[in-house]
Amino acid sequence: MSAVREPRSAAAHAPLLRVAGLRKLFPIRKGFLKRTVGYVRAVDGVDFHIDEGETLGLVGESGCGKTTTARCILRAIDPTGGEIAMRLADGSVVDLTTLGEAELRAIRREMQMIFQDPFTSLNPRMTLLDLVGEPLLVHGMKSRREREQRVADLLRRVGLRPEYMRRFPHAFSGGERQRIGIARALALQPRLVVADEPVSALDVSVQAQILNLLFDLQEEFRLTYLFVAHDLSVVRYISNRVAVMYVGRIVELGETEEIFTAPKHPYTAALLSAVPEPDPRTRGKRIVLPGEVANPAAPPSGCYFHPRCPHAIEVCRTQTPAFQETSPGHVVGCHRAHELRLAGVE
Amino acid sequence: MGDVMQPREPLLSVRNLHTYFAQDEGTVKAVDGVSLEMNAGATLGIVGESGCGKSVTARSILRIVDRPGRIVDGEIWFRRLSANGGAGSRAVDLAKLEPNGEQMRSIRGAEIALIFQEPMSSFSPVHSVGNQIIEAILLHQEIDRRGARARAIDMLRRVGVSSPDQRVDQLAHQLSGGLRQRAMIAMALSCSPTLLIADEPTTALDVTTQTQILELMRQLQQEDGMAIMLITHDLGVIAEMATDVAVMYLGRVVEQAPVDAIFHAPKHPYTRALLRSIPRMRARSRERLTPIAGSVPHPYDRPTGCPFHPRCPDFIAGTCDRQTPGPRAVGDRHTVSCFLYE
Repeated sequence: MSAVREPRSAAAHAPLLRVAGLRKLFPIRKGFLKRTVGYVRAVDGVDFHIDEGETLGLVGESGCGKTTTARCILRAIDPTGGEIAMRLADGSVVDLTTLGEAELRAIRREMQMIFQDPFTSLNPRMTLLDLVGEPLLVHGMKSRREREQRVADLLRRVGLRPEYMRRFPHAFSGGERQRIGIARALALQPRLVVADEPVSALDVSVQAQILNLLFDLQEEFRLTYLFVAHDLSVVRYISNRVAVMYVGRIVELGETEEIFTAPKHPYTAALLSAVPEPDPRTRGKRIVLPGEVANPAAPPSGCYFHPRCPHAIEVCRTQTPAFQETSPGHVVGCHRAHELRLAGVE
Repeated sequence: MGDVMQPREPLLSVRNLHTYFAQDEGTVKAVDGVSLEMNAGATLGIVGESGCGKSVTARSILRIVDRPGRIVDGEIWFRRLSANGGAGSRAVDLAKLEPNGEQMRSIRGAEIALIFQEPMSSFSPVHSVGNQIIEAILLHQEIDRRGARARAIDMLRRVGVSSPDQRVDQLAHQLSGGLRQRAMIAMALSCSPTLLIADEPTTALDVTTQTQILELMRQLQQEDGMAIMLITHDLGVIAEMATDVAVMYLGRVVEQAPVDAIFHAPKHPYTRALLRSIPRMRARSRERLTPIAGSVPHPYDRPTGCPFHPRCPDFIAGTCDRQTPGPRAVGDRHTVSCFLYE
């Protein structure tokens, strides 16, 4: 199947990335014949867009489908259904889900990934020059001198000394390794960077350095970030808008300030209140949710959050809530979005 | 429980502890002169980044430091309950005991219990969760197997495990992360310890599960009156739980104070920088953070003098890089190791 390219004029104001109805089901196989007995609905109808130069934070607890969503966008795994429309550097829009391997390779230089664990994501047998230079080589920069020049520039830009380019990753600390991973991701001048928990494996004192670096690089290169994280305070710092996921679905999406100060979904409110503040004077004002995150292989009826929701009413048990816009650009998947008064952070 | 202690006599007093790991590449001074005090029923938060020695301190107290690690100097005074459980108690220096001797074995698991970060790897995969709790009870208490099983089910119920009479026969992998951590707490508290050491107890858990577990620990502490040593890198968890806080950096306690003083009147430049560098829920979005320069040094590459001096904004040349500051009282129960206060 070939890509459906929209004409340039129609795409001029399109967002950089638009995801519509994205679904990823993983089959559950059992028995000797490995028959499919059910599906884990890892991503179950996700819609959002990201504008150029913007950061969208994708938050949720483990198993909510945030990483699967990110991996589908990069086509590291193939989605089961839905559309992922990306606007390319030449202005045309292409649906990534329809592309074959050869077409994808050309587009991959426009989207790169920063990984969580800088200790396992860098090949220990490759020097910095090889690690950061590899994508350049793959995409046709054959001259070694040219590559060295570019790698030196990149290392300098992420705060590492170019003299270190012949060293191996083990000689560097966690924060420095994450800088190497960032340099590698930026080597091909991507427009979309998917960062999956990029600071959660780092020491607290180093997190701030990396977050500031990501911030500066975004301004300088007009990067667009999809920032996947579970740490809400980090997400607040980096994101323009935030999408909150629960059991494979987005339950709330809006401007960062609105999501944090005036959440409309009871799950968002509980998540915000659960984060312990580094201030003993705010102690004990927590919403303690009963039970556990629903099983995505056998989700509950109606709203997936209803068994834990302190505000659930009869309709929540029977009907899946539709998205409602509570204010421009702020959408909520909750039957009671308009009537509930929920507390955010001050 | 808990009121048999003499007032003002600490439950645990660690004095000038040194635990070193001798390796081919050099000696790692994981714990390099730690002094701490804990009262009965209190919650001491120990906070620090990777390599600061917080876990090795805990393992030294329990005498379960992995080889080639060894306590090379210092004392660990722990106040034991008297044999009849009544008034009066005596202190022993755990650092002088044989790690696998009879006395240490009767303390470990019974009077001092431990819960880890990763509950999956702390349970045996081939024995039921209940059998492991029962084994711990049988080891330390004079009770028959049926009584121990009843007590295990009772403990599981107390920590909020639903249908505990069925869960007791399940294997660890059949439980969710939150339930495993609850089962681990049930096992730790099954012998009514006077000190519970919790090493990153909620780090592997989701934030809504973390809230449940912290709430549970707080409630059990109120009921049983045990002291908790809470080890974590998360300043939010510390603020939520601790009565007192010790801040560690590269094998040393740089500051110890009541929780409110640590967060609202911190003295050591490291504590102050750490508090400035963390992203806050209450901050406005896309506001720049103030990071700490550099990174935690490699353990073979320890700086001379004060271990924090290469990253310190208040570094005094000729002093901080030559001498090591000792702890100095700067307020009520507030000590700091820094030349700014000498």
